[in-house]
Amino acid sequence: MSAPALEALPIWKVDVHTTSGRGFTPEELAERCAKKIIAISDDANPAIRAQAHAFRGQLLKTLEFYMREAVKSDRTTVYNALTDAGQTDLAKLIRRL
Amino acid sequence: MAFSGNYMCTSFKKELLYGAHDFDASSGDTFKIALYTSSATLTAATTAYSATNESSGTGYTAGGGTLTPVDPTASGTTALTDFADETWTSATITARGALIYNTTPNTTSIALTNPAVIVLDFGADKIATAGDFTVVFPTADASNAIIRIA
Repeated sequence: MSAPALEALPIWKVDVHTTSGRGFTPEELAERCAKKIIAISDDANPAIRAQAHAFRGQLLKTLEFYMREAVKSDRTTVYNALTDAGQTDLAKLIRRL
Repeated sequence: MAFSGNYMCTSFKKELLYGAHDFDASSGDTFKIALYTSSATLTAATTAYSATNESSGTGYTAGGGTLTPVDPTASGTTALTDFADETWTSATITARGALIYNTTPNTTSIALTNPAVIVLDFGADKIATAGDFTVVFPTADASNAIIRIA
């Protein structure tokens, strides 16, 4: 009888996401977030897999909405900070984004 | 070919048995992730961080970024830990792979300086130009987490 072995399991490939000339959009971040919250195995029971995909789809819409809200709210904060600093033109630019 | 896959460094496995690495999220060691060009030679035999062939560019500092660890946990008979995704913002970077390493190991029983943990192969050059560069770690479960011991 062999002794119990401690095994370091294989490392899965990490994903790398990049952008050029912009940051990530709320939709891109929400997609990544939803996948992080709900991982769906290809080997899962088809009925459970379908249910999980449906739930992740609903979660994705909610995440997208609140991420857009967070962006808008942060721009309000930045707008006020720039206005308070006397940078009104810059503040207007931020508000128009 | 410089990168040939993802590896848990052999020296890291040995150092685990020396109790050199603490992944506790609040009081554990400081782990960093450094990016490398396709000229770097990183394998399971890599033992420590090196600046040779490390990526450079706007928004990236030599040594890389500090990772936010997630408390180790267990799922079934598998122990696992994870890191929050790491992003370099407003960056112009080209990287083919990365090294996760420990900048504050426990050296009570073994002498170590920036010991290597994991080598990551991105599969191809990844490029951000005046944008964001994010390393996304896999789902933290028994089948996918970045560091798993069964």
